[in-house]
Amino acid sequence: MSSNGHDTLVVRMEKIVKRFGTIVALNGVDFTVRQREVVGLLGDNGAGKSTLIKVLTGVHTLTSGQIYFEGRPVEIPSPREARALGIETCYQDLALVNLMSITRNFFLGRELVRRIGPFHWLDMREMNSQARSALKHIGIDIRSPQERVGKLSGGERQSIAIGRARHFGAKLLILDEPTSALSVGETHKVLTYTLNAKERGLSVIFITHNVGHVYQVADRFTVLRRGNLVGTYTKGEVTEDDIADLITGERDR
Amino acid sequence: MAGPLITLTVIFILLSLFVPNFFTVRSLSGIINAATLTGTITIGTTLLMIAGEFDLSVGPMMAMGAFLYGLNSVEGGNPLWALLLALLVPALMGSINGFIVTRARIPSFITTLSTMLAYRGMVWIYSGGQMFQTIDQARIYDIFNGRMDYVADAVKGANFRTASLWLIGLVLLFQYILVRTRFGNHVFSIGGNVGAAAAQGVNAKRVKVVCFMLSGALAGFAGVLLFSQFKTVRIATGAGEELKAIAAAAVGGTLLTGGSGSIIGALLGALIISMLRTGVVLANLIPADNFEAIVGVTIVGAAIFNNWIRKQS
Repeated sequence: MSSNGHDTLVVRMEKIVKRFGTIVALNGVDFTVRQREVVGLLGDNGAGKSTLIKVLTGVHTLTSGQIYFEGRPVEIPSPREARALGIETCYQDLALVNLMSITRNFFLGRELVRRIGPFHWLDMREMNSQARSALKHIGIDIRSPQERVGKLSGGERQSIAIGRARHFGAKLLILDEPTSALSVGETHKVLTYTLNAKERGLSVIFITHNVGHVYQVADRFTVLRRGNLVGTYTKGEVTEDDIADLITGERDR
Repeated sequence: MAGPLITLTVIFILLSLFVPNFFTVRSLSGIINAATLTGTITIGTTLLMIAGEFDLSVGPMMAMGAFLYGLNSVEGGNPLWALLLALLVPALMGSINGFIVTRARIPSFITTLSTMLAYRGMVWIYSGGQMFQTIDQARIYDIFNGRMDYVADAVKGANFRTASLWLIGLVLLFQYILVRTRFGNHVFSIGGNVGAAAAQGVNAKRVKVVCFMLSGALAGFAGVLLFSQFKTVRIATGAGEELKAIAAAAVGGTLLTGGSGSIIGALLGALIISMLRTGVVLANLIPADNFEAIVGVTIVGAAIFNNWIRKQS
């Protein structure tokens, strides 16, 4: 599958192996994401979903294997490099700093400053107005950009993380369990933002173990089990129940 | 900052109403003078606590700063060189703390508990095991912690010292750095959620090492202020300062778990504790030696109050 249509592939990961000491977390996994597509990355706890993504985002360095980004072989030794390529991750717990304001979170690590000589200071006014308009642009209405993130609901927090990624020109958006802690209504919102992102030309990796949520939005599904690739399937090929069976290993393909 | 400001105001009013001689220029200037050393150290402690770390080794770093400054400034020594040493060596000691915490991944509590003892040993070696004092009247001593006689001449009993001006300057500088620079933004982020900060490309290790360095340099500067006033330093100088500073930071509204706090709050915290000390002595209700008990109660009370205020906002 990975040998076809390289030009439309945003990410191609080949024979990825990741060992932690004697533990094999990933055992030769292949994984691809095309342009403007949502890929569901599924697996039970410990299947290797997070490890695979952390290899892609530079949190872990791979033991062996090769990553291609937009057709070019790349090395991603740290999250900084991943970001420079246009890979943005919205982690479940690691997305935002709850004690900080929306604006400060939005621009964290990319703060806008004004300078005179060697001195610089944060341009809070500009950051506030940009954060507000960027979020409004994608349909997220916030009361005040100075509000602390901890005061927002889980869905609002996810949407701010997604909005931030899009604002900074992400090509590939990785959502790590974006709906696992959300109510039905908020889950619906996050799924809508996901489809919106795709319509605007982004590729999305949607990590979850909730088949129901990802089935609504994903074009393809990659299933992992105990560090091994079970398979990659397009939406028409398999039903929700099929995927659930593949995750648990009730059925092998 | 609302919490410590209210605490300060309430305690100030209560002491002014019920303690004789508290609301006098003499007492108030004394309170401020007594808060300058701990206040200077508390700036660094607060910065580190916001970043989610502790520094228990500030006491010996303060002593080291005082020895370096004292020994190198007397008898024709170059006072600027003495000052530089007193800032740089403790900063280096702080960066060692930082490297142990970030590279060896030893919690800062354990790391700085160990270096607190080790650094005291270094002070002992550098000082030759003896206290140091001088009767020199170098001009630099007046610059850093001299009497402000022109104020005392104008207002009777107003015994302000120049160290309070240095403290105010440092508080404003570090408050600005904390809330208006990238570095400050990163300090809050690593204390609030280090994973989220790292995912956004914040170099948490570097920020932490810099915080430890600043904490060391500020402790060294506290040593400079101390020696400038008393012209005396002992090996045990600064013992217990680390806990006073943590107490002042906590009373000043800084979260012990990191991610929230302010330098102005730290100053208020140091002033609150200094005010209580003077109040207890003047009230003469309990022996002044037992002042620590009052501080203990105040820390817990202020922490509870600050939490409550934080939830209301």
